[in-house]
Amino acid sequence: MSTKPTSFLVFVNGAIENAEVNDYDELYLRFSYVIGKDWEICSGLDEGTTQIAHKSVQVGSKIVFNFPLEVTFRATNPFGWPQLVLSGYGLDTFGNDVVRGYGTTHIPINPGRHRIRIPLFTPRSSSRFQQFLGWMMGRRPEFVDPKVIAFNTGREMTRVRSHGYVQVVFNVVTKDMDALGYRIQSKHASPTGSKQSENTDSAHADNPYS
Amino acid sequence: MAEVHVIGQIVGGSGFPESSLFCKWKVQMGSAWRVLQGDQEGQTQVDDPSDEPMANWCHPIDLHFATKGLQGWPKFHLQVWHQDAYGRNELYSYGFCHIPVSPGYHELDCVTWRPKGTLIEELKTQFIGGSSQLKNPDLVSSSAELYKLRTVSMGKVHLRLHIIVRDFEKYGVEF
Repeated sequence: MSTKPTSFLVFVNGAIENAEVNDYDELYLRFSYVIGKDWEICSGLDEGTTQIAHKSVQVGSKIVFNFPLEVTFRATNPFGWPQLVLSGYGLDTFGNDVVRGYGTTHIPINPGRHRIRIPLFTPRSSSRFQQFLGWMMGRRPEFVDPKVIAFNTGREMTRVRSHGYVQVVFNVVTKDMDALGYRIQSKHASPTGSKQSENTDSAHADNPYS
Repeated sequence: MAEVHVIGQIVGGSGFPESSLFCKWKVQMGSAWRVLQGDQEGQTQVDDPSDEPMANWCHPIDLHFATKGLQGWPKFHLQVWHQDAYGRNELYSYGFCHIPVSPGYHELDCVTWRPKGTLIEELKTQFIGGSSQLKNPDLVSSSAELYKLRTVSMGKVHLRLHIIVRDFEKYGVEF
């Protein structure tokens, strides 16, 4: 006799694959998860740092991380679904550690394999002079707490410049969502929905005028 | 009561005449619907992309609705604004987009438009900035009133949404 489950599990495997950037050659990423108050992490790291990765000598190469992500969440409510928050840092020409970009995405909900291209953005300085000072001193504008980009409030007057992408692959399995009454897939695939989980390399970010 | 979760992002916008854009979003729904958790409106960051024509907002959306009926299924009202180098904001366009009705993952492109003024007003927009605005922005999704407008097409807003539904089977609704 099994009792009705009171919570569901989301099991996530995957990797931060690579970063596509034009202006610089090396990068390391810090990742963390932002979850709602009805969520907890059962296993896996909730934050970490990748290796410092460089591009290869080939023109147009990407910065490859191949960094494993393994985490399991338990929750009673889909509200507050986990988001992966990335912050990228690297050395500038003067040897200072500067921020290269922030990015965030929701962990996919549908079970299966998903490749997601996360745009990176950095806060902009308030003025040209500040921008020059930041470049000279190696102290660029950065978020005090990178997790702020995973929330709706407080983003209104942040001005950013977006540049570059990070590709992340997720494999997702859920447990007991059906038993709790949650439907996460329809019986008939809709045309806009069928673009997921195959290579979303060609997501609309590549083709903005389509 | 049946429940709907909308989890995703307003990813960005493309196809607009200038970059340095932000988006104001709001959820509009019928009287049978209630928001249990989540913010009903918000404003994204201002993004000025360095090399791509697409503005990246990556703005998280996490909404939890409860409903007694299918009528009035929620929709997003979007306004795309432009911020120039001096920090002035002008409205670029309006758009609306229904939250998808089927559970699962959806990539949406919401097309947008702006009201077209008279010749003098268009010239003013061109040289001084600013734009014609709707007195009542809720008009964007009202089918009965839009015949009065003359509009110009603008770019698209891209959204990625996951929809989770719960307990609709009890009411006989099939997805």
